[in-house]
Formats: sequence, C-alpha cells, structure tokens
Amino acid sequence: MEKNKKLPTAKIALGILLLALPFIFTAVGFQYGVLVCCFGFLYIIAVSGLDIDFGYCGQISMGHAAFFAIGAYGSVMMHQYFHIPILLTMILATILAAAVGAVIAYPASKLVFHFLSLATIAFGEIIYSLLLNSPGGVTGNAVGLFTDPINLFGISLSSNEGFYYFGLVCTVIFLTAKWLMVNSKVGRAWVAIRENSHAAGGMGINVTKYKVMAFSVSAFYTGFAGAMYAHLVRYIGPDTFTQKQSVMFVTMMLFGGTGSIFGPIVGAMLVFSITEGLRMFEQYQMLIYGALLLVVIVALPGGVYGEAKKLVVRLMQKRNGGEGNAA
Amino acid sequence: MLLQILVSGFVLGCVYGLIALGYSLIYKSSGLMNFVQGDVLTLGAFLGYTFYSLLGLPYWVALILTVLTAFVFGLLMEKFVIRKLLSKSVLAIYIVLATIAIQYILQNAIQAIWSTKMLNYPQIFPVPSVSVAGVMVQSESIFCIVMSFVCMAGLQFFMKYTRFGTAMRAAAMDAKAAQACGINTSLSTGVSWGIAAGMAALAGILLGPIYGVFIMLGSTIGRKGFAGAIMGGYGNMYGAIVGGILLGLVETLVAGYLSSTYKDMIAYALLLLFLFVKPTGIFNERAITE
Repeated sequence: MEKNKKLPTAKIALGILLLALPFIFTAVGFQYGVLVCCFGFLYIIAVSGLDIDFGYCGQISMGHAAFFAIGAYGSVMMHQYFHIPILLTMILATILAAAVGAVIAYPASKLVFHFLSLATIAFGEIIYSLLLNSPGGVTGNAVGLFTDPINLFGISLSSNEGFYYFGLVCTVIFLTAKWLMVNSKVGRAWVAIRENSHAAGGMGINVTKYKVMAFSVSAFYTGFAGAMYAHLVRYIGPDTFTQKQSVMFVTMMLFGGTGSIFGPIVGAMLVFSITEGLRMFEQYQMLIYGALLLVVIVALPGGVYGEAKKLVVRLMQKRNGGEGNAA
Repeated sequence: MLLQILVSGFVLGCVYGLIALGYSLIYKSSGLMNFVQGDVLTLGAFLGYTFYSLLGLPYWVALILTVLTAFVFGLLMEKFVIRKLLSKSVLAIYIVLATIAIQYILQNAIQAIWSTKMLNYPQIFPVPSVSVAGVMVQSESIFCIVMSFVCMAGLQFFMKYTRFGTAMRAAAMDAKAAQACGINTSLSTGVSWGIAAGMAALAGILLGPIYGVFIMLGSTIGRKGFAGAIMGGYGNMYGAIVGGILLGLVETLVAGYLSSTYKDMIAYALLLLFLFVKPTGIFNERAITE
C-alpha cells in the first residue's frame, strides 16, 4: 500500500527532471550531455526490443544490427529516392524491419540457442555485405549516405534539444507498449516459452507463432531505433552496422539485466556512457568491451539492475523480519 | 586457371576444415560453441612469425612452439573461464558470450603486442613454387594441404587408438557414466579445448606465409568456419573436414568465375540454408537437435 502511494510523486518528479534535463545541461555548460541522452534514448529502444526477444521469450539474437540497419537505410533511402516525409519513412522502414524479422524468424524458430545465434550472426553478415556491395550502389556502399533531420509537421528537429524531446516521447511510447505487451496474454506466453517451450506447447501455446511474434516485435523496436539513429547523426555508413554493434546491444542488455523494463534502460545508458567516457582510449575500445562483458557474465549474471533489485529485496526482508515480499 | 582456383580453394578449405574440426571437437566434448577459434588462428600466425622470423628459430621448432602455446591457451581458457561458468550453471548463451568477450580481448591484445600493419613471412622453402600438372603452385600451399591432412589423420588416430582419446570420446558421450568409470572428464574437456586451439593456431601458421599476417586474418575465417561445420553436420569430425573443404572450394569458385564481391555472402548464405533446410548437415549428425 505504502508503495502505491509513493509512486506517483516519484513518477512526477522523474518526469519533470527528464523534461528539464536539457535546460540543466545548458545551465551547467555541459551541452554534450543532451546528445548523449539522444543516443541513450535510441539505444534504450533498441535494447528494450532485444530484451523482449531474449529476456521474455528466451530467443537470442546476435544479429540485431541488421534490423538497426534496415530501419536506418530504409528510412534514409525512402526519403532520398521517393521523397516521402521523414517521419513516415521512419515508420515504413520500421515495419519493413519487423516484416524481415518475421520472415527470418519463421524458419529460425525451430533452432536452439547456439544455432539460433549462428543463424542470426549469418543474417547480420549478409545484410552487412549487402550494404557494402548493394546492387547499383543504392546504399552508397562504403561511402554511405547523408540525410536530413526529422521534420515534424513543418518543425525541423535539427537541434539536439529538439531531438531530445522527440526521443523522450518515442521512448515513453515504446516502453509503455512493452509494458502493456509483457503484462498481457502474449507476454505470459513468451515467458512460458522461455521457461520451458515443450511445456508451453503442451499447454496449448502456439510456440512457433509466439516466437516469430517476439522476434518480429523486437526487430520493430530495433528498426525504429535505427531510423532514429540515421536522422540524429544524419549520416549512415556500413561500419555502424557490423557484428560489433549486435554484440554491443547484447552487452547493454546483459549489463543492465534482462526480462524487465528498467534493466535495458540502465544497461543502455551505462554502457553508452562508459564507451563515450573512454573515447580517448579508442584503440582499446574492444578490450574494454570484452572485459566489461566478461565481468558481467562472471560476476553479475543478473545485470546491474537485476542484482540491485535482488539486494533491495534482501534488505527489505531483513528489515521486515523475513515476512516481506516486496519483490 | 581452373586448377589454380582449385588449389587455392583447397588451401582455404583445409583451413576451414581445421577450424571446423575444432568447433566439432568442442561441441562433442562439452556441448558448447567457441567463438575464439578465429582469433587463435590470428594469434598462431603472429606467434609463428615471431618465433620464425624475429627469433630466427627453425620453421619446425616455430611451428611446434606455436601449436603448444595455443594448446596451453585453450586449456587455460577452459579452466579459468568456461569451467567457472559451468560450475555456476549459467545459461549456455552466457558461455557463448564469454567466448565472444575473450575474442575481443584477444584481438585487442594482439593489436597491442604486435602492430596493426601487415607482416610478411620470409620464404620458408628453398623452392618458391613447384609445377603440378603444368601449373605453378606456391610450395607453402602444398605444405598447408599436406599438414592439414596429417593433423586430421593424427587427431583421428589419437581419438580412436589411444587410451586418452577413448576416454575423451567416453566423456563426450556420457559425462556421468565416464566419471563413474574413473575418467577425469574435467581434464578431457580441457584437453579438447586445447586441441581445438592448437589446430586453429596451426591453421594460422600455415596460412600466414600465403595470406600475410594481419589482425583481422582470423576473425572472418573463424566465423565462416561455422558454415563449414554446419554443412558437414555440427559435431561430426568427418563432416567438419568435408564441409570445410567444400566451403573453401565453393567460395573460391564463385569468386573466380562469378564475382568476388559476394564471396563472403556465399558462406553465410550456405550456413543459413543448411540451418533452415538441413540442420543435420551432409553427414546427418543428430547432435544439433535438442
């Protein structure tokens, strides 16, 4: 009961803080922070999508950079070649990513862990080499493509502050959608498949259908994040969409903690901030990544958020004399 | 022209075969997937270069030292990372990710120790090339093919006719039953990771004189090696060799006759095709299904 009363105030405070953040950054002269948050938002969306696939449905994907690429290139190319307004191209490209995700997930749904990761890696590599050697050079091959900022009904979001609010709104929409999905019949079916796919099938859940759905939804999220990326940076080249990007998504997800709303947020923000903060050691970026990933796997199997939650629960139980079940 | 393509396809195929053999060995012994193989190949190429070219050791000594170093590396990796994770009974996917993390660390370490520049081996044999059926073939290419087959035959002999090999096969078949018979399964798994790493390093030192030595030498080969392993039937020793050689031939033939731009894509397309249509591979290996 106490928790329910406290939550709205916390939520309102958080909302105000998020709305005021660009002004705070400007006031303290840390303009760069706004841009970091912009990237943070799109990574949160991408990683939340991956979490639907892995954290809830238990299907690994090591090739989500491919959907990131489909969203980014799809949106940019539709805008460049057919002159469709950008917001619409973002949505169309996202739907395309989800459709491609469904097509690849259907035959992949019968594969188990290791082989699913191999299949997704192979898919990612195929998309990458298509970007690099596209028929007729439509993707700009190794040179890449330049594009415009998002145009929201006549308002151009060319400033970082403008993109910040757009990103904030998108993140809230996507996270709310995720929350609704995982707390519905669909979400429960996903969790059942993750826990035991044979038992889930025995209880009448159409395993293939829900696996394809989870993969496709997660491709939708990552595709949209890719489209956001393209119009935030306003340049896309194949180097952004390599295997490393897919591994970074997985790192962010595991670092934060899987199967929750907040885990991906924590993971995306932390890992992105760490890599940004260590820019000067760019030469050793992969080393840092590898070490980070290894530390999380060996020491924090639940991720930062997951382990923190466990700790809080344990403390609460201690205080309430063992009867508390605040989880 | 055709013969030349076939020879270079065979060289590449043998390297894929060695890598895929390592994958199959590890999968058979511990049911796991190892993404480090490709970068151990790079490590092998750099170690071989250092021993042979910088320290001036005889080629045979350099080759044996390289393989032994990689063997120890594989053994230690299994002991200190994989076994630790297995004893915590984490999800299998975390172990796969741990090998990816080690891959990154190794890649960056190699870059830090040696350089990002491409290095060239000095000539190994007094005769740079020999004539085979009227076509000049690099001696190192022939050496690579011969050594690969010697290594594969040696492994087959070791697994089939030695006490330790039999113990390893038993441990792979049923770890609990093997343990009950007094077999040290922990040791046998470690050794299989070591052998896999040793074979990858051997592939590296064989490939180095032909392709040159550079940081990214192994990572693509390592990833494409999976296609070879899947094509032959993941977990099958003969399948790994046949699949690897087939992959090398197909890739080189496509690059030679159709277009070299889509050469990388062929391997991944074959991987997907086999996974989706015939996951048990050419040798119908059942290990892949749950």
